[in-house]
Amino acid sequence: MTVKGIDTKDKHIINLAKIVGGARSILYHKEDLLAYDCDAFTVHKHLPRTVVFPKNTQEVSQLVKYCSDHQLPFLARGAGTGLSGGAIPINNEVIISLVRMKKLVSVDLENRRAVVEPGFINLKLTNSISDKGYYYAPDPSSQYCCTIGGNVAENAGGAHCLKYGVTTNHILGLEVVLPNGDIIEVGGDGIPDMPGYDLLGLLTGSEGTLGIVTKITVRILKNPESKKTVLAYFDSVEDGSQAVSDIISAGIVPAALEMMDKVAIEGVEAAAFPVGHPKDIAAFLLIEVDGISAGIDEQINLILEVCKKRNVREVRAAKDEAERERWWANRKTGFGAMGAISPDYLVQDGVIPRSKLPEVLSRIEEISQESGLRIANIFHAGDGNLHPLVLFDARIPGETEKAIEAGSACLQACADAGGTITGEHGVGIEKKEEMRFVFKDEEIIAQTNIREVFNPDNLLNAGKLFPTPGRCAEVKQEMKEAVLS
Amino acid sequence: MTVKESELKKVPPCTTQRSLSNYLLRDHPDENKWADCVHCGMCLESCPTYELTGQEQHSPRGRVYLIQSVAEGRMEVNKQFMDPVFACLDCRACTTACPADVDVGGLIEEARGQIRQAIPLTGWKRSVNKFFLQGVFPHQNRLNMFGNFLRFYQKSGMQKVVQKTKLINVMPQHLVEMEAVMPEVQQPVRKKFNNETVIKAKGETKNEVAFLTGCVMDVMFSDINESTINVLTRNGNDVSIPKNQTCCGALHVHAGDRDTGRKLAKQNIEAFQDAEKVIVNAAGCGCMLQEYGELFREVEPEWREKAEAFSAKVEDISKYLHDTGYEKPKAELNKRITYHDACHLAHGQGVRQEPRDILLDIPGVEMVHMPNADRCCGSAGIYNITNPEMAGAVLESKMENVPDDVEMISMGNPGCMLQMAVGVQKYGRNQKIVHTVQLLDWAYQKEEGEK
Repeated sequence: MTVKGIDTKDKHIINLAKIVGGARSILYHKEDLLAYDCDAFTVHKHLPRTVVFPKNTQEVSQLVKYCSDHQLPFLARGAGTGLSGGAIPINNEVIISLVRMKKLVSVDLENRRAVVEPGFINLKLTNSISDKGYYYAPDPSSQYCCTIGGNVAENAGGAHCLKYGVTTNHILGLEVVLPNGDIIEVGGDGIPDMPGYDLLGLLTGSEGTLGIVTKITVRILKNPESKKTVLAYFDSVEDGSQAVSDIISAGIVPAALEMMDKVAIEGVEAAAFPVGHPKDIAAFLLIEVDGISAGIDEQINLILEVCKKRNVREVRAAKDEAERERWWANRKTGFGAMGAISPDYLVQDGVIPRSKLPEVLSRIEEISQESGLRIANIFHAGDGNLHPLVLFDARIPGETEKAIEAGSACLQACADAGGTITGEHGVGIEKKEEMRFVFKDEEIIAQTNIREVFNPDNLLNAGKLFPTPGRCAEVKQEMKEAVLS
Repeated sequence: MTVKESELKKVPPCTTQRSLSNYLLRDHPDENKWADCVHCGMCLESCPTYELTGQEQHSPRGRVYLIQSVAEGRMEVNKQFMDPVFACLDCRACTTACPADVDVGGLIEEARGQIRQAIPLTGWKRSVNKFFLQGVFPHQNRLNMFGNFLRFYQKSGMQKVVQKTKLINVMPQHLVEMEAVMPEVQQPVRKKFNNETVIKAKGETKNEVAFLTGCVMDVMFSDINESTINVLTRNGNDVSIPKNQTCCGALHVHAGDRDTGRKLAKQNIEAFQDAEKVIVNAAGCGCMLQEYGELFREVEPEWREKAEAFSAKVEDISKYLHDTGYEKPKAELNKRITYHDACHLAHGQGVRQEPRDILLDIPGVEMVHMPNADRCCGSAGIYNITNPEMAGAVLESKMENVPDDVEMISMGNPGCMLQMAVGVQKYGRNQKIVHTVQLLDWAYQKEEGEK
């Protein structure tokens, strides 16, 4: 049996091609697969067996069933913007790309919810409903291009999650293809507490290891009546960090409270969306408050006062929407902007109690000096979600390994400060060993036992999220060797 | 246990060894350009071919990755490499989206140069390519002959016969569509002003500028060239049209023929040696002229400095008018107009607001917003001829964004004008396609008439 346009004898490829309707919906030549050998985490690279592009839930279900019946490892991929390697086919997987399932299925303004397919782009949802005065709150910096399906898998956060919560707080229902091909629906249409286990909570953030999401019902919010944004420049990181704590202690819950340090500022100012930040400042805070108009000005005044008490060099509110947008574009493109000052970067994602900010940031500075690699910090200061970006050049032998070590040391510092190893980017392959910084063996086993229920053959996205019990040291050595070889 | 940690051992090395490169020929893609890319994916949604296919080798990030992979010896220069590299529209939307300013357009052009050296065109594609790119565009007299033929074709009634008898249908569908919307060919300005070294400003001379008339532009759209000269002289500019100027070479460079590109570049650099300012009204040409330095990065580097000095003098007509000031017309045009951003103006040269401001300065013009105005129309040089299927799909989504109730679509690039005219006809719309500078000229003319 052959399929038109398919020039391979591999029977699995031919059969998978039949499910998705022919040659235009499958890639299998080595050269075509190269672009899929990593996602936005570029430290590990591995070719998939094939990439298939289903159009609907039925096709996804048939693909999954085929893989399960023939014991082929497989995984789901969206835009491939993940930062922890969750979509990297380390087991030569069949990649089920969901980017062609990108419809906005329905919008129900009355009940404030929308239904989207997994390949629908995050920002497009807000753009589709903004003229009616609504928006979708979770706003990861990659929102211009990341898919909501991927957001569900990673339980993505974003700048405005300080006030509004991360993705899981905005998911009302999911349609999921289980690893045996069964299609189930979880959650209710906005019913706050469904009887039975909270599968919605379990699946959101499961990093594509329990099932493949094929339809998502999300909560949408009414635009806040008013919004104001403040930019504050500090001469010391310490003062900036203290100001963060003071703002929250003063009883203000900003919509966003972001911080960038000197190296990060150098990056964004050298890149495509500079705003002219002074070169010699140690850090800036980007603070946004929103809500009903009454009271916004008082909040802004209070923030200005707090900043002044902490020796701010300059602090001011955005004079108009255009300026506000420029500030945000500068912040949100921050990671990519590192390309302007470094060929490669590795971003970490630790979370710490706000009060520990100065201590952990100075530890990160030490790590930078010990490793000889520059580390930029761009992060959600308000919820203590750090993003140290370790800058390196993979072309220099040994630097990749050094960067991985420095990144891991940053996470150790977060864990030591009573925090954790990821706030929003997920564990993937990148941080699975670091899971041990925060979980005991028993706690990891309790979680892998759940995975076995859903994914008994471990064909779906294997080797991600959890370390292998008892083999920690050994595996670490292997990873090191892999990188070195 | 099915987790295969040992698989990690098979991960290919992260380090690059230059000696592994599969670029064997000279003038190869610039390593520093892809070193800027950190694979973040911010470019994905900006790319029309990724939007249509959903496949990453057809995304900017994917293409940059493949170009890098060839240099790292992980991929050969072969058909699988050629397809994504040549399917790129070269619309540069990704350079606008990219946080790190990765020069994707430059990399694509350099990679095409490698591909064309390694895998030369064959058969009819080679003949057509050679005929137009080397045989016609660089030669003014042949272009004029071609123009004369087109004019004869249109005026003699031959066009009507060919269309009526359906003889036209022997051509591929997309060429049939383009033939149907071909503008009426008039006398090129280079012929018209052949005897004048300088076309004097009306009134006092404030500035002196040189004008690049373009090759196809001057044959197919000489009326726009005339409008450009009118608008310039009206606003106090002495305009010269250097005789030795030639085709800018954009189509050649896009097609991977960098040698001809360099040849043309050198001729233009010399032709405009004495000019202070080089004015262009075709976005594609303007963008190419501003990037001449890139052509001499590796080959004939002694030309690089001269090329960069030349590029610094090049300016789009709308930006030039906007920056040096122009008289606001007094006559009313009373039209509802929407504006399409030509890729090589918006993404290539960063000129977005200037043409819109000019339109808004014309009394009676009502501007209607076009969603995604800076999305490619699918023209992309000769892309609509070489990749008709993708170009057609891109055009379809462009036309969906054209507001219903406008009378004209204004833009700053001849390629877009032809493509959008095809779109208007194909989708049963009735907008007139105009160049921004034409509208300004018409307003001035109406003002003169009313005096």
